[in-house]
Amino acid sequence: MVMLPVERVVRYNLRERLVHAAAGISYVYLLLTGLAFWTPALYWLAIVLGGGYLSRMLHPWAGLVFSAVLLVMWASWRRDMKTTPADKEWRKHIVDYMTNKDEKVPPVGRFNYGQKQFFWLMVIAMWALVISGGVLWFVSSVPAGFAWLRDAAILVHSISALATIGLFIVHLYMGIAVVPGGLSAIVRGEVTREWARQHHSLWKTRP
Amino acid sequence: MTNGWTDIRNTDVVLAMGGNPAENHPVGFRFVMEAKRNRNAKLVCVDPRFNRTAAVADRFVQIRAGTDIAFLAGLIHHTLENNRYHEEYVRLFTNAQFLVNERYAFDETRGVFSGWDDQQKRYTDTSSWSYDIGPDGFARVDPTLQDPRTVFQVMKRFYARYTPEMVSSICGCSAEDFTKAADLITSTGTADRAGTMMYALGWTHHSQSVQLIHTAAMLQLLLGNIGRPGGGLNALRGHANIQGGTDCGMAYHNLPGYIAVPKADHQTLDTFLKSITPKPLRPQSTNFQSNYDKFAVSQLKAYYGTNATKENEFGYRLHPRLPAADGGGYQNWSWAYIFDHMYRGEMDGFFSFGMNPVSNGPNSRKAIGALAKLKWLVVAENFEQETAAFWRPDILAVSDLKPEDVKTEVFMLPAANFAEKDGTFVNSARWLQWKWKAVDPPGEAKPDQEIIGRIFLRVRELYQQDGGAYPDPILNLNWWYSNPASPSLDEVCRELNGWALEDVKDATGAVVVRRGQQLSRFLDTRGDGSTLSGNWLYIGSYTDAGNMTMRRSTADPSGLGRYPEWTFSWPANRRVLYNRASADAQGRPWDASRTGIAWNGQRWVGDTPDYTVDSAPDAGLGAFIMLPEGVARLFVPGQFVEGPWSEHYEPMESPIANPLHPEQSSNPAVRQFMTKHDVLGTAEEFPIVCTTYRLTEHFHYWTKNNPYSVQLQPEFFVEMSEELAREKSIANGDRVRVKSARGEIEGLARVTKRMKPMQVGGRTVHQIGFPIHWGFLGRGAQRGSMANLVTPTIVDPNSYAPEYKGFLVSLEKV
Amino acid sequence: MSLEIVRSSASSSPAPGVRVEPQLVKLVDTSTCIGCKACEVACQEWNDLPPEPTTNSTNSYQTMPATTASFWNLIKFNEHEEDAGSLHWLMRKDQCMHCSEPGCLIACPAPGAIVQYANGIVDFQQDNCIGCGYCITGCPFDIPKFNTGTKRVYKCTLCVDRVSVGLQPACVKACPTSCLQFGTKEAMLEIAEKRVTQLKANGFAQAAVYDPPGVGGTGVVTVLAFGDRPELYGLPKDPVVPAAVRFWKGPLKWFGNVAMLGGIAVAAVHFMRYGRKEGHD
Repeated sequence: MVMLPVERVVRYNLRERLVHAAAGISYVYLLLTGLAFWTPALYWLAIVLGGGYLSRMLHPWAGLVFSAVLLVMWASWRRDMKTTPADKEWRKHIVDYMTNKDEKVPPVGRFNYGQKQFFWLMVIAMWALVISGGVLWFVSSVPAGFAWLRDAAILVHSISALATIGLFIVHLYMGIAVVPGGLSAIVRGEVTREWARQHHSLWKTRP
Repeated sequence: MTNGWTDIRNTDVVLAMGGNPAENHPVGFRFVMEAKRNRNAKLVCVDPRFNRTAAVADRFVQIRAGTDIAFLAGLIHHTLENNRYHEEYVRLFTNAQFLVNERYAFDETRGVFSGWDDQQKRYTDTSSWSYDIGPDGFARVDPTLQDPRTVFQVMKRFYARYTPEMVSSICGCSAEDFTKAADLITSTGTADRAGTMMYALGWTHHSQSVQLIHTAAMLQLLLGNIGRPGGGLNALRGHANIQGGTDCGMAYHNLPGYIAVPKADHQTLDTFLKSITPKPLRPQSTNFQSNYDKFAVSQLKAYYGTNATKENEFGYRLHPRLPAADGGGYQNWSWAYIFDHMYRGEMDGFFSFGMNPVSNGPNSRKAIGALAKLKWLVVAENFEQETAAFWRPDILAVSDLKPEDVKTEVFMLPAANFAEKDGTFVNSARWLQWKWKAVDPPGEAKPDQEIIGRIFLRVRELYQQDGGAYPDPILNLNWWYSNPASPSLDEVCRELNGWALEDVKDATGAVVVRRGQQLSRFLDTRGDGSTLSGNWLYIGSYTDAGNMTMRRSTADPSGLGRYPEWTFSWPANRRVLYNRASADAQGRPWDASRTGIAWNGQRWVGDTPDYTVDSAPDAGLGAFIMLPEGVARLFVPGQFVEGPWSEHYEPMESPIANPLHPEQSSNPAVRQFMTKHDVLGTAEEFPIVCTTYRLTEHFHYWTKNNPYSVQLQPEFFVEMSEELAREKSIANGDRVRVKSARGEIEGLARVTKRMKPMQVGGRTVHQIGFPIHWGFLGRGAQRGSMANLVTPTIVDPNSYAPEYKGFLVSLEKV
Repeated sequence: MSLEIVRSSASSSPAPGVRVEPQLVKLVDTSTCIGCKACEVACQEWNDLPPEPTTNSTNSYQTMPATTASFWNLIKFNEHEEDAGSLHWLMRKDQCMHCSEPGCLIACPAPGAIVQYANGIVDFQQDNCIGCGYCITGCPFDIPKFNTGTKRVYKCTLCVDRVSVGLQPACVKACPTSCLQFGTKEAMLEIAEKRVTQLKANGFAQAAVYDPPGVGGTGVVTVLAFGDRPELYGLPKDPVVPAAVRFWKGPLKWFGNVAMLGGIAVAAVHFMRYGRKEGHD
């Protein structure tokens, strides 16, 4: 068999990869410290990460970093993330996609519908988390008459965090385990033209 | 206090009026709460403000500041009119049955008693304010009380004018509120109920303060509440040791033990002693004051020791006497008069110990102007305060002076505070309580006795070296203390109690006290120089058994909270004064569950009897042994300058003319000072009634240096009603200015429901008030907010207490 | 102390306390409170707390609007006009209520930062506190206060240091009118009920003891003359541990834990069943 030179295309430029890495690292930190505060069974996470006090102190700052990064991401990807008619087709075949019957899945652009949904849900959850987190951060400044605000913040923060965890599991699983090349794409930035054709055939790739 | 703090737990009704005990005596107020909790006692609060006491009162009545006599007179009328008085008590223990002098009269339309001279505008002949004296030299009586000239009948007629409607139109409360409160207060006019009254500066800070307390005393006598557990007329003393100061001759007109100071014309000891020992007015009367000669001589022995000899009349010839005044009578050296003398340049120097006259005297502008005329001023204090710093430009500016105008040399001596020295406090209940030093004074601060001791030694030395005016009292003073530079207060206590200089013998010749022994009974004193006692009232406080003021036993055999072995209560460790009146004619307690004293067939048992211990009830000595009548005075013959009865007179600054007699609106006996600062305002210019008071968070002008107290009440404020604030467009927290004819003061507005406008004399009158605790120096926002910048220099003509409460101001938003 | 700790925040194991002690409570009889603030200063001094700057903003004598991180005991003054001419100046000591079901402890995520002792005292252990402020949300009485310097939360300890050596709390010691008393809950409730009976007889028909069941009863029981309207005194009418906190620490927590583990499990199963997508790296 003759090895042909493999043509590679840039899927994520360096800026995008750095932004994603920042989002990922800050999210993981938020996840681990958040889980420590979520349940005593995981409080050891906070201890490993420098203690509960430090974790509590850095968590909101990490949250700000994550939110800021997500805003950058939003700025650069928001056009790519618009739902297209092709996506609607794709959506009908989501079960096929999930059961790896990729041949039945209609073609999509740079991002598939699932990725787009992940992106938007994360952005929405980020807003929910940053707003409720702000209340929790400055909870002592909330007047006693606005106790409902504190109550709401707790619920919004934990429920939206849980939502992101669900999304995160899917994201991680898909990116690392299910889609070959997904991890290296986001780390190194390049994919093969073949890969692009196979997974994102409508994507107008540049050589 | 006739009774005591702990006794208040035995009461059924408390009238808190002219005082705000929850605010100013919160610790003693616990006994009111005990009475409420354990006896379901009722608390009635009558005050110009809905105050902290009102907050826990069962009934509150708001009255205009300065109208307390009208309210109390209304209660007297209510009591007499509705037969709510304790008839047997009144007959037994008061002068109700005495006949009043035929020449006595009161002109209801003109508001003056007999003896008034219209030309001179003063009482020129008060001899008619007396009893009808029979040929035997004793007062005539009518035990049936029916004679129209009996004190009882005269009283009934005199107070008949004080109907609920009249009370309402003077005081500004509704007649209905008055009557409801009156029913409750006078419900104690029975044998099985007892009521107490608690008062403080809200009664004494008026131009008719002594008569005010007279009114309260009459009411308590009519209700049969004096001398009984749970009863009494209880003065709540302000400072920790103000009672001790009063007992020990702090006021200019008394020697220690309330012996009147010798006057210029008392040339000899004999004339002096005659002036202080009255003749009995009834045949059996104990007339205890007939012992005053022994007390006075023993006191002279304490002053001059071995220098007090029979030859110099036991030192009387060395002793200063009160000089005659230019316009007749004697000089007056009470507080406001001192500052008047000072203002007129009649004084060179002034010692101020634990006092802050710039802040706490009336009319700060006059006080500053007066201090500026001194050659020297010595201030002994814990903190630098406004008096020691009166020369500062900002303080002098108050009186329109500049530092270059002032030549006064000021010495500030750091003094130890109460916790930094040992000694005794005498509390309102007349308990002499020793207290032990808690901490050493800081820096160079010295206890008062050391400051005084060292000044005295140096002054005596100067007299010895250089001579000087009137050296006798200084050179002959008995300064016997082991450490003359700082007398031990234990020794001072021993001296106040006194000891025998020679063996003291009784009538049979038996020795009752050996030479050198501490005295333990009044009657062991002698007028022949064989005993020494600094203050007869304190005899028994330091006996051979030791310093009784250190006793701390909580044993309570009576179960009524008398604690007879807790320290020492003057006189004679008696816990309730006039306690003979707690039992009926046969010596049986009015209420067996609250026994003061009782006759057991041989002797009186219970509290230390205010009576001869083995004199049977039927001997009829009279329950009020301190008075020549032997009974309590409703009608007061010739003691008070404005009349034998208490009449409502308006404060010297009043929004209305007296509804009773507009012609004589204010107290006719008040004499005004004449400097440019002694001015009064009119109701037209200053329409608002103002009163001053204290807050529980602060102690006088002292705790503004304490960060915790400042935290609790940081800044001067003016309390006003919502209605007045609306009228003046003032919101809570705005800065407002209060002006009187004397000066002005600024502070934060505190708009509250606790102040209400009232209907007085047919029109709406607003009242405002503010606390006194701020000034120029201290923590927090001081801003020169001294309450006394606006108060008048008017004083009561009997007690010379300034009229700090119930004067006129105007109010505006800054 | 651990023998006394019967409840500890964020603990996945049972608290170690085995001592059986009666619940000790403070009685606040508002009908005998004169608002003298002796308790405020006693609290400051015993606990060596610095004086607080005062905001003199109320029209009453209240020192500050609410307790602070270094001012744990505040008398709240309320002027209440029942009907024309009947004014009541209500004073109530505001402080930690030491709930039997402490919302703060329930909400706290830091192990051992909030403990409850066998005698009922709910105490913050600041060295374990992470400063998250969830206790503030958990408290229906607005008591835990955040110190911006230490970034930890503080409140009344019921003078646990005094109580554990047999003394009464500093505020009770300082109270001149016995408006504050301290003892077993049984004894305090008896005194409180007696006082309520007396108040009822004296015209306060609605007098009641405030010992709200919504938080399991409190370690500070309060006598109120207007027992039907605790809000006149600045007290919540029916305080409960906030439903949000209950939901969060209860169903939501279990749901979340199951969902997270479930998510991982589903991914694993999916991978085993379907594996990797085909294609090039």
